[in-house]
Amino acid sequence: MTVTISPVVLRKVATNEAIDAELRDAIEQQQLFDWVLHWQPALYERLKALAAARVSPDNWPQSAHWNWVAKLNEIKDLLAHQTLCVVCEGMTQGLMRVDTVGKRCRLDSQKGLNLVYIDYLEVAPWNWDGPYFDPPRYRGIGTILLRAAIEIRLAEGFKGRIGLHSLPQSTTFYERCGLANRGPDAAYQSRLPYFEMTPEQVQAFLNRGSGK
Amino acid sequence: MTTSKRTMTLNLTDAEMRVLEELCSKKDLSKTSLLRQALRLYQLVEARIEKGDKLFFEDEKTKEKAEVMML
Repeated sequence: MTVTISPVVLRKVATNEAIDAELRDAIEQQQLFDWVLHWQPALYERLKALAAARVSPDNWPQSAHWNWVAKLNEIKDLLAHQTLCVVCEGMTQGLMRVDTVGKRCRLDSQKGLNLVYIDYLEVAPWNWDGPYFDPPRYRGIGTILLRAAIEIRLAEGFKGRIGLHSLPQSTTFYERCGLANRGPDAAYQSRLPYFEMTPEQVQAFLNRGSGK
Repeated sequence: MTTSKRTMTLNLTDAEMRVLEELCSKKDLSKTSLLRQALRLYQLVEARIEKGDKLFFEDEKTKEKAEVMML
């Protein structure tokens, strides 16, 4: 399999400079090595900091239990799923898995049409923002991955329609990106809020990113 | 981000073409997009069935289930 690499730019928080990065249209073995050998130890350090500060586990990062090795194994060789990642300065900074078959639009204006459903999107623990953590190393990863999901499906004729269930801690990010919060989904585990984007909202998001 | 693609010719009967066009209209997709989507779905179903899973349709009101036999 040939991986397509597209140049993207992240913001390095410490120096406020733009740093060249890569958007890759597959999560490969190296990303899983990075997850095991770098993300996991960094995660434990952050959880230790939260425990030391006596922060209730209810307020710990809600993706802390995600296992990307298992998530990749679930979809091995299936065309219905696609994975993407952002790599910067030799390290995986963000991971995403999408489903292009299993979910349909729910909004009345596009009910039943195909959409790209974002199964999982996560940035590396050192890019997390929070009161008990060091400042994030890079910003912009989530937006780049979201934009990539939209653009891939625009090219496939889906008109960029996307949907997802958000962890409660991530709802602000998706609202900032222009996705409308459709409220808690009673049919979904933990009643996570459901977000869906119409082609018009997709266009507004893309225009904003390109400065139009 | 562009992935390289290969081109093929597909021969369809009038009836098949009519169904394809109806589905494209209903799903708001191009013929290529719809067929690629169908391939993804077919592969997914096959993978689940090979694992031993069964495919059912469930009546939303009666909750009655009907198994789809995949040969």
